[in-house]
Amino acid sequence: MSEDAISTIPVPSAPKRRLRGIRFNLEVRRDISSWWQAAYLAGFIALGIGISAIILIWAGVPAGDLVDQFLVETLTDSDNLRSVLFQGAPFILVGLSASVAFRARFWNLGLEGQMIWGGIGATFISIHHIGPEAFRLPIMIFAAAACAMAWVAIAGQLKLKLAVNEIISTLLMNYVALNFLYHLLYGPWRDATDGFPHSPKYADFERLPDVFGFSGALPLALIVALVIWWLVSFTRFGFYMKFVQASDKVAGAVGIPVARITLISVLLSGALAGIAGFVVASGQEGRLIQNFSDGYLFSGILIAFLSRNNPIVAVIVAMLVSMLFISGQSLQVFYQIPFAMVQLVQAIVVICVAASEFLIRHRIHIVR
Amino acid sequence: MTPALDLVDIRKTFDSFVALDDARFSAYSGEVHALLGENGAGKSSLMNVACGLYTPDAGQMLLYGAEVSLSGPSEASARGIGMVHQHFKLVKPFTVAENILLANPRRNFGKGIREISDEIRKRSDALGFNIDPTRRVGELSVAEQQRTEILKVLVGGARILILDEPTAVLTDQEAETLLTTVRGIAAEGAAIILVTHKLADVKKFADRVTVMRGGKTVATIDPSTKTTDELTELTVGANLPLPARTPGQFGRRRIEVINLRCTRADGHVALEDASFHVRAGEIYGIAGVSGNGQSELAEALMGVRTPESGLIQIEDAGEAVSAASPARMRALGAAFIPADRYSYALAGSLSITENFAVGGVGSGRYGSWSRLRQSAMKRDAEAAIAAFDVQGVRTLSQKAALLSGGNAQKLVIAREFSRSPNVIVAHSPSRGLDARATAAVHSRLMSARESGAAVILISEDLDEVLALSDRIGVMTHGRLVAEFDAPADRQQVGRAMVGHV
Repeated sequence: MSEDAISTIPVPSAPKRRLRGIRFNLEVRRDISSWWQAAYLAGFIALGIGISAIILIWAGVPAGDLVDQFLVETLTDSDNLRSVLFQGAPFILVGLSASVAFRARFWNLGLEGQMIWGGIGATFISIHHIGPEAFRLPIMIFAAAACAMAWVAIAGQLKLKLAVNEIISTLLMNYVALNFLYHLLYGPWRDATDGFPHSPKYADFERLPDVFGFSGALPLALIVALVIWWLVSFTRFGFYMKFVQASDKVAGAVGIPVARITLISVLLSGALAGIAGFVVASGQEGRLIQNFSDGYLFSGILIAFLSRNNPIVAVIVAMLVSMLFISGQSLQVFYQIPFAMVQLVQAIVVICVAASEFLIRHRIHIVR
Repeated sequence: MTPALDLVDIRKTFDSFVALDDARFSAYSGEVHALLGENGAGKSSLMNVACGLYTPDAGQMLLYGAEVSLSGPSEASARGIGMVHQHFKLVKPFTVAENILLANPRRNFGKGIREISDEIRKRSDALGFNIDPTRRVGELSVAEQQRTEILKVLVGGARILILDEPTAVLTDQEAETLLTTVRGIAAEGAAIILVTHKLADVKKFADRVTVMRGGKTVATIDPSTKTTDELTELTVGANLPLPARTPGQFGRRRIEVINLRCTRADGHVALEDASFHVRAGEIYGIAGVSGNGQSELAEALMGVRTPESGLIQIEDAGEAVSAASPARMRALGAAFIPADRYSYALAGSLSITENFAVGGVGSGRYGSWSRLRQSAMKRDAEAAIAAFDVQGVRTLSQKAALLSGGNAQKLVIAREFSRSPNVIVAHSPSRGLDARATAAVHSRLMSARESGAAVILISEDLDEVLALSDRIGVMTHGRLVAEFDAPADRQQVGRAMVGHV
């Protein structure tokens, strides 16, 4: 209530308003400029980084070393830089995978399971020597994508045909995939040469080649990102996806084949996660190991969420996450900081961005 | 005498949208005071201020002469203001007594339940409600749930009772019973506020009526001093003349609906044996009191609801379709103007260009699957916006949700008519629109008729149906009970609507 409004109303016996401290009133915003959106987002990311810094300092990292550890060391040291550039590739792929699914309103929380199936598909090709050596790599990538697609198709069909909640189905199927991986690694695929529970090593021509001295994984991921960007921004499919994301009811009513668009998006999402699985298996150890997919689900969601499902922004965010990841590894070495701290930092940033969403959608009035 | 509730110059904005513009309202103890207005006139916003859900930006609220500023619904109810919302706020798996206890907490649960149950029985008997406090709310009928809501606020000690569209969900007899009961509650000294858009209820049951339009209160009058037409004019503003109609040039049957039957999720039969046809160049109006199966019919025709049985035959389709998808209906030349724009026509978060262009993308008009020509989409959208007089477009990339109701409707029509459809299904196309926008919508439907389209006009607004239709079917309880040729007698159509001829 403004003061003027009250003074103009002739109410003789209006009692004094009671002072009851400050109250907050929420209001839904109808529109907000993209500048303000970006400003809120940046402010809250900064807040998240600030909170993370405090926690890291509290955990024993000297304040002066934080910037050094996170920026200078990771980018100037050539081993670190190589790791950052490699590690960025699977992050980009899982980020894209989550983005594509989220754009079709399919909450694919099965990225890790799909990565495992991608790894299994590629490794199957390697173990059985399928196809000529020159084409082995593309065949493995194709197999990785196909297996992961088949895996996610189960959850996709369950949702479309039986309305089974995909959050539950995809998440739980991760454990099924993981235990199947254990079965393979402890059973038929156990490496005969050393007896350890991991698959036999890939041949050299089955691993991604280096490009200009750096892993070829990143160029592969960048090409994929460009293709996805083109798909969602310039094609009819991408246009339809926007409607499915905005409102599947409206999309259906204006004649968009919602089920088909959703299913294709889900399969594509699975394929991307499968390729990410292959990239990790091939790029890190050159074989399938236990738990190689650990942590990618959360990172993928984080990247999709921070980039608002935009493929180009996802590439940038994925590279930042990769830096965080690699510097987290060195924190572990130098300060005995547990690696869970990296996930904690990610989680804090996500919570802050989620909070910014609230302010972007609402306006807070202070009512006295 | 001091009013029980007095709202003075209440102003409420949501971002840039003005929902209440210096609205005034006062209700006295012992009266039934109707608050009348179209959808979006601000009735619910004003009552949400009164029951503490909204804090007004400016203005004053007085209860029995003393100014108050409510901190929320709980304070409102502590001060004796009870609101029965249109969508009930009941916990379905709980019993009646548990629901009422939840809203009116007592220290001791067991003792509370016993006390509340006794009170429910006492009040329920006094009001003739016949509500058993031990029954689960989920098992009650809609009318019984509403009675539970009323008991809830009465047990809470409400002396000012706000009923938001209470008859919308009731049958005619239930509505009559309810309103009679409500009159009785008023006679015992409570102030009853009846939020409604039904003129008949106002004429019959209200002592006074306050009319709202566009967030402003237009007048407070005694309804018995005004005719229904005068009240209508107050609610909707001046009537604009309808476009001149030419005698119909009817062609072949464009669409034929045969024995369509739909059931709702709860098993209730919403549409039974609906059969009619519409010829080229003809407007077929479907009149009826809201909630008699019109929504189900419209949804079945649009292809968003699968009918249980029956056929929809579109000329040139080759075969009759029983469960058509929207895409298929559109491919056969159908266009849709749904009643609920943001459920079935416009994606509010997407741009005007996108919402316009989505109609033509599938046909390849804006390029192949691999490359959409944004410039062509923009050009067409711009031309259509000019041709259909869509106002309030700052840029083509602005969100469709920012358009006002009338302009959003014009955008829908611009898109749907851009493909020169053979069959048009329009459901309450002027609902919530101002007089000017309504006139624009009507003239578009008339020109579609002239150009040879078959138009199905489903509307709860009898005047609209009478003015535009060449033939009129009347729907009651899910059935088409009568059919009239234009010019139809208003009385006869009206009797068929309520009388189940």
